[in-house]
Amino acid sequence: MGASSLFALLLAWIIFSGSVLAGETRELTLAAYSVPKEAYERTIIPAFQRQWKQRTGQEVRIRSSYGASGAQTRAIIGGFDADVAVLSLEGDLDQIAKAGLISHDWRTGPHKGMVSASVVALGVRKGNPKGIKGWEDLARPGVEVLYPNPKTSGGAMWDVVAIYGAGLKLAEQQAGAGKKPSAESAEAFATSLLKRIQKNVKVMDKSGRESVTTFERGVGDVIVTYENELLPRIKSHRPYELIVPQETVWIENPASIIDKHVDRHHVRDVAEAFVAFLHSEEAQAAFTELGFRPIGQATAPTSAGTALPLPNRLFTIADLGGWETISTKLFGPHGAWTTTVEDLARGK
Amino acid sequence: MTTHRLLQLALRSAAVGYVALLILFPLVAIAHQSFTGGIDHFIQDISTPQASSALILTLEAAFITTVINALFGTLSAIVLVRYEFPGRWFLNALVDLPFAIPTLVTGLMIAAIYGPTTILGTWLQQGGVSVLYDKPGIVLAMLFVTMPFTIRSLQPVLMELERDQEEAAFSLGASPWTTFWKVTVPSVLPGLLTGVFLTFVRALGEFGSIVIVAGNIPMKTQVASVYVYGEIESYNPQGATSVSVFILLISFLVLVLLERLTRPPGERLPRWFRWSKQPLSMIRPSEIG
Repeated sequence: MGASSLFALLLAWIIFSGSVLAGETRELTLAAYSVPKEAYERTIIPAFQRQWKQRTGQEVRIRSSYGASGAQTRAIIGGFDADVAVLSLEGDLDQIAKAGLISHDWRTGPHKGMVSASVVALGVRKGNPKGIKGWEDLARPGVEVLYPNPKTSGGAMWDVVAIYGAGLKLAEQQAGAGKKPSAESAEAFATSLLKRIQKNVKVMDKSGRESVTTFERGVGDVIVTYENELLPRIKSHRPYELIVPQETVWIENPASIIDKHVDRHHVRDVAEAFVAFLHSEEAQAAFTELGFRPIGQATAPTSAGTALPLPNRLFTIADLGGWETISTKLFGPHGAWTTTVEDLARGK
Repeated sequence: MTTHRLLQLALRSAAVGYVALLILFPLVAIAHQSFTGGIDHFIQDISTPQASSALILTLEAAFITTVINALFGTLSAIVLVRYEFPGRWFLNALVDLPFAIPTLVTGLMIAAIYGPTTILGTWLQQGGVSVLYDKPGIVLAMLFVTMPFTIRSLQPVLMELERDQEEAAFSLGASPWTTFWKVTVPSVLPGLLTGVFLTFVRALGEFGSIVIVAGNIPMKTQVASVYVYGEIESYNPQGATSVSVFILLISFLVLVLLERLTRPPGERLPRWFRWSKQPLSMIRPSEIG
């Protein structure tokens, strides 16, 4: 390549980047957790770009990054200047808010800032050889259970919360109709269920995805994970089956703009429109296509245009007192899960 | 000052700066971070039930790994240096492979052999032996990643070892075993120690392969590095750094000990730092009566 053509190339690049600066193209950085990657890449991002172009005539370029929810959170706090964060746990978004990067109350939006939903479900081997129907079956001797480590996986926190909450619901059932067990006896039963199931756990992977990989490698009889993690795989003919227990937890995943970054990049309008777009019918359809549930299904069941029936004794994080309460109760230094693991290791 | 002296000075500061920038500064930073909460916090962090049992398991597994690799590494090194056999060059090339393979891949390889759906895995399961997702899996992963250390640090000293010393001992009436223990072993000891100590510290820090092959159940099959990862992920950087610094301290002490044991006589550490007049590396075959 001669010097003149190199110069021409440089000139072309300067002109090109100049036109970008002139405002024809807007740029948005998205930091998301990895599970909904397909929905974003295939449907949601292209649809939003079309809509924005129609409305304003501007092109939007979206640079998206996908990774574990906690890792994305730490990256953003550590300086990754994403404009929009889509994470699996409210707590992760709260961490970003605590670091001063989100200055508005992200829970004020529609659906309290949540954009996608699912439930904790069970995956079993084809034909359900161990006859798994509900949580008690996971505690039977000889049944091997898989879920990841709640210390590293937000998904596993949902799994453990589902087991504990199911324990509370089962305690109510056992007390009989109309009667309500005391809070202590219900909690004691929930802790014992958690302990009996944890006893059957042989492998605790780093993430939900890895846990599924381990299950597909032939380890374990039951995997506890997101329903939306199992559905697409079953659809693509993996040899396992989905079981939704009657008692399970309603999962919601939040999204928010990051104020500090959108203001610095002058993209607040685009970022806000993008988060609003996640609530649109088009985006919700993309999520359900991927095995998620419509965001309003639990609170307004009538609006549910889905074939997935709601479990009978569904509960939410709010029913259990909110994340702050439940994470101390389960995962704190003296939490039910922490002591369960320690007791089991000591042979108690 | 001559150009020669200047050049020397520049070279020396480049070397010091390089080591400081890459190793010393990050070390100081993490040590500082872990002690900001005070020594009490540090002790509290490493003595929680989950942290302490992870540390103990790691030390145990690293120790077993070191013993096994010291034995079989020595044997392999002797075979590779002393015996001619077809395929020796290939075996020799294979030894370095663990350094070249990403440790995550090592984990996948071990899982692929011992997994529950494989022939070996099914056979072991029927025999009631659990390897994968249990403690033997951890040792297996550590063995794999540390295998080159003993062999590669023994090979050069074995090659240098003059045959005539052994032959002399042998012809003076020593049995093959006596010759091996009193002549061969002492001369290769510095090399062996280097290999053994490096194996130990490398095993302490292994993460990538273990996180795949161990079950990672807290207090049962969770090693220190996986525990540290968990604490980072659950917003407890303080607990994570404390356990990391503890591992670093052990590694550092082991490496200082190694440095002390393998120095050639003329340039050992200052007098106050010595604890015996006769360091191991000084025992030369010629001094054995």
